[in-house]
Amino acid sequence: MSTLLVEICLGTSCHLMGSQDIIDAIESLPPDKRGKIDLRGVTCLKTCRKGPNARINGVVLSEMTPERTLAVIEDNLP
Amino acid sequence: MNRLYPEIAVAQLSKAGEELCGDKVEIARTEAATTVVISDGLGSGVKANILATLTTKITSSLLKRNVPITEVVPTITQTLPVCRERKIAYSTLQIIKLLPDSMATVVEFDSPTTFLFRGGQVVPFPTEARNIGGKAIREGRLLLGEGDIIVAVSDGVIHAGIGGLLKLGWDWPGISAELAAHCSPADDAEKIAEHILGCCNGYYLGQPGDDSTVVVIKLRRPRNLTLFTGPPANRDMDEQIVKRLMGGEGKKVVAGGTTANIVSRVLGLPVNVDLNYQDPEIPPIATIDNLDLVTEGVLTLTAAIGRLHDIRKLRASARRDGATLLARLLYEADRIDILAGTAVNPAHQNPNFPAQINIKAQVIANLRNALEDLGKRVTVEWV
Repeated sequence: MSTLLVEICLGTSCHLMGSQDIIDAIESLPPDKRGKIDLRGVTCLKTCRKGPNARINGVVLSEMTPERTLAVIEDNLP
Repeated sequence: MNRLYPEIAVAQLSKAGEELCGDKVEIARTEAATTVVISDGLGSGVKANILATLTTKITSSLLKRNVPITEVVPTITQTLPVCRERKIAYSTLQIIKLLPDSMATVVEFDSPTTFLFRGGQVVPFPTEARNIGGKAIREGRLLLGEGDIIVAVSDGVIHAGIGGLLKLGWDWPGISAELAAHCSPADDAEKIAEHILGCCNGYYLGQPGDDSTVVVIKLRRPRNLTLFTGPPANRDMDEQIVKRLMGGEGKKVVAGGTTANIVSRVLGLPVNVDLNYQDPEIPPIATIDNLDLVTEGVLTLTAAIGRLHDIRKLRASARRDGATLLARLLYEADRIDILAGTAVNPAHQNPNFPAQINIKAQVIANLRNALEDLGKRVTVEWV
């Protein structure tokens, strides 16, 4: 089964700006959706000013919120 | 020859009803020697504490200035007042001095005989009676080896249980038997000290009749740790600094997201971030092969300093967050070399962020102080 690679930055700035909330939101997805996501943490995406940052399918996205992240995931789910 | 490191632990009980302990232990570590000075002030409470503090402080400062023991002892014995009624000195004095080549010198003045715990056997540390300045002291020298343990106790431990559970008190042979039967040369100094003091408290039925002190000195191989935190100001330095980190002896720790990425890039090894938040305040840890710990930077360092301020809690803690793991590794090391990068992350200059993340130099200074207060040798190199 193909999965969607979702990487969340857990560096200092992104942590302070709420990256944990994004991870919690993804972890709370129903099992059928959660099972299609390969969720990983990364240590820095080099856009610390615009955190929290995520990289979804290889594309770095800044100023993410749990809602925006879930919306992008929804659009990209295999 | 590999120098051995004297691991020292002190455990103390105050006489029941007293807030202050009348025994005092002063530990001084310098390049030239490690000295432990123990004094038991006559009586208990504030007066005993002041007498013992004076004795240990004066002795320790004289020894630190390389005044020979043969001069220190008469200075102290002539300075100390003598109790008019009991005709004994107002405080005892015991000195244990260890040179870097593991030569140990023990001096006892009115203090209980020092224990030598070697290969599971307990014997008195060999001393001879001497007369210095009209005072009878005992002094001895012995070359120690890896795993040798010296235990010194105040007379509160010797007399534990006297007239109660044990008619004549626990006494030297009793303590010696306890050490041989229930302590192992593999135990760390703190475990042995706490065990002996726990038994002592037990014989006193939890109501110590005297101030009680146990000092344990164990000679073991030194434990080093290198901590790399923060990217170097000059990117061309990255490879050299990572080489220094990996070439260092002992444990290797990286604190900082960008720092972890630098190490990963130079070594060609991936960073795997653990997504479990063990503590919502502390960002998760990561792993890189061949490194002992990878954490976030300044928030984890600041929290680790807090954890180092309460060692009892740290030792008892089963938490596995980055700050606790980092504090534990730092606490277990004797020598810590910090490679601190000076590159500034402009995103950290955010007024909404905690103030400490802007002032890394202060965080590193606080870390250094916390570690030095615990007797660690710390070097900081800004890169």
